[in-house]
Amino acid sequence: MDFTFTEEQQMMAGAFRELTDDLCAPAALRAAFEGRGESSAARWQRLTELGLPGMLAPESVGGMGLTLADFILIAEAAGRAALPETLVEHAGIAVPVLSALSADARGAAVLQAAVSGEARVAVSHPFNPFIVGADQATHVLVLTDHEVHLLSKDEAKLEGHQSIDALRSLARCTGSLQPGTCIARGAGASAATALAFECGALLTAAECAGLCDALVALAVSYAAERSQFGKKIGAYQAIKHQLANVQVKLEFARPVLYAAATQATVLSGRSRFGVSHAKLAATDAADLAGRTAVQVHGAMGYSWEVDVHFYLKRALGLTGMWGDRSFHMRRVQQQLFSEHLAIGPDALFGVFKELP
Amino acid sequence: MKIGFSAAQEQFRNEVATWLAEQLSGPYADLRGVSSHTAMVERRRVWEAELGRARLSSVGWPVEWGGRGASLAEQVIFAEEYARAKAPSRLNHLGVELLAPTLLSYGTEAQKTRFLEPIVMGKEIWCQGYSEPNAGSDLANVATRARLESGPNGDEWVIDGQKIWTSLAAFADWIFVLCRTEEGSRGNRGLSYLLVPMHQAGVTVRPIREMTGHAEFNETFFTGARTAAANIVGAPGEGWKVAMATLAFERGVSTLAQQMDFTNEFEALVKAAQANGQATDPLIRQRIAEASIGLSVMRYSALRMLTNAESGALSHEAFTYRLYWGVWRKKLGELAMDVLGPSGEYAHGDSPLAHDLQHMFLFSRSDTIYGGTSQIQRNQIAERALGLPKEPRGN
Repeated sequence: MDFTFTEEQQMMAGAFRELTDDLCAPAALRAAFEGRGESSAARWQRLTELGLPGMLAPESVGGMGLTLADFILIAEAAGRAALPETLVEHAGIAVPVLSALSADARGAAVLQAAVSGEARVAVSHPFNPFIVGADQATHVLVLTDHEVHLLSKDEAKLEGHQSIDALRSLARCTGSLQPGTCIARGAGASAATALAFECGALLTAAECAGLCDALVALAVSYAAERSQFGKKIGAYQAIKHQLANVQVKLEFARPVLYAAATQATVLSGRSRFGVSHAKLAATDAADLAGRTAVQVHGAMGYSWEVDVHFYLKRALGLTGMWGDRSFHMRRVQQQLFSEHLAIGPDALFGVFKELP
Repeated sequence: MKIGFSAAQEQFRNEVATWLAEQLSGPYADLRGVSSHTAMVERRRVWEAELGRARLSSVGWPVEWGGRGASLAEQVIFAEEYARAKAPSRLNHLGVELLAPTLLSYGTEAQKTRFLEPIVMGKEIWCQGYSEPNAGSDLANVATRARLESGPNGDEWVIDGQKIWTSLAAFADWIFVLCRTEEGSRGNRGLSYLLVPMHQAGVTVRPIREMTGHAEFNETFFTGARTAAANIVGAPGEGWKVAMATLAFERGVSTLAQQMDFTNEFEALVKAAQANGQATDPLIRQRIAEASIGLSVMRYSALRMLTNAESGALSHEAFTYRLYWGVWRKKLGELAMDVLGPSGEYAHGDSPLAHDLQHMFLFSRSDTIYGGTSQIQRNQIAERALGLPKEPRGN
């Protein structure tokens, strides 16, 4: 058992964090929202320079051949930065699914372009009422329980919607699915759709953990700087205890998240249990962080001028996607009461024994 | 002990409900359901005058000043019926609910004569100049200052400084300002409570955009703004006492009656849950049940406070009530977003109902902040109601 990340994993995440500190500095995010500053294409270019889009693709197609456990810190950092680009959907969901379906020639061709970052693939999944980031995408991967389709942006006939999160675009696919765009059917399709769901739920959980981190950092720095009654407000227990409570939630979400990352693609009862637990723990942490960060900022926290609301709204969107709270709670319950999952002390530690 | 209202009170309720229904289905149908503080300002001025003519603008005021001398219970009944009828939010609520009671208690006869009638008839809209960038929870830290100067118009207060979170400042005609009139004074000493006209060169207003995307609040800048020497409530240096009295009114009748608004929101949430199937989810059902229980708790607490306080001002229980409803409504907002599910992310919602619920979620983020944060409320419960030692301060 080892909960530490390897040097390579940490270096990769560190490089990405450095990049996002620059790309997603609050002033840059505001500029992006107002249509100024660096374009999405330019930011995407910087992400591809690190090889991020192809991290989870096999080396045979030019990818890095890494796993979700390698990508989890990247997803967390993307959340922390409130990255406007849908790197997580592209690299963490679309690319692994396309890799699994690479027997199809059309899928293989797009995979190649997706790995290099030339193609940007958005994901449509039965669990989500909309597609995120479709306005910047070249393709849409449409997953259903029986078929998987890969559409060009034109074929998808997208109908755009504004998100409450000014940095995210939403869309619905209005084009009908034609046989010519189908890249998988039957068992292969349903397995791909199930895999996408586990990746989606796990990685949005990671983004939520990152958002939680960002919100705590914002609130801590404000509490250390703002004075009332002649003291920094962070000196008052009423403030510091609230922030400590968020940090506790975050630190209890992280190991759950990292453990789930090592097993998510197994698609077993136990792996689903882990992914659901991670989604619940991380979204809870982000939710408390958003609430607390607004409160610590006082009235300023409610204003548009302070950045808290960007992160709060991103967390809100991610919390509802890839299965809401009720869904994941239900899945935990179902696993507990199913005959396939043993409970009790042996089984509990058995979860850890399975870890690589 | 008897739960409920008397026959006479119920009769008053009927009278109010009938009048409101007639107005809001007839000449003022366009104002029904207008909850924004910044929408349809000119129409809402006309509506204020209509309320004034019917002696319904401020039923609790003495008859001689345009009210009905109504009891606290009747004031609550009016406010409840007002919310039930989905009548528009009161454009002049700061004048009617905060300044006027302050003037009735602390104002001179001349001030009552000058200011009350234009409030009751909606001719002069008021806003509140309390908070400053460095005086939020620590309100006594105000730095806006005023000095008396002689000039061509006689003696006048000349005001310099900045207020923040001034709702309605964009269209208010007057502002009541807490400012420092004794040079070198600190904390809650040396403050005065001035009445200042907004329409003058020395007053500038800048809107503040909120996370909802709307701009209901403003910053208000005073640079040599002027008001007549007589426009001070209480004596110079007594401003803190007067300002605190105003805040006690803020915790009064209007907050007790807001349960009716909450009930409307709760009903909308239940409707949304029934429409999209979330009402069958056991976790959602439990939280809806908890929210409903919270509504009952607030209702009974309000009635109890009322009967304890028929004689006049509200007691310390009002602090616990303020804390309770702020937390309750914030949770209601979170529940609303869970009921909407992922489609709650659509900007403005994907239906008018979803839009209202989403707005309620975002707005309710401020419910545990404005008018005193939950942290300040808890300190007040501990220090003023329980008598615990005061928290050490740095100044």
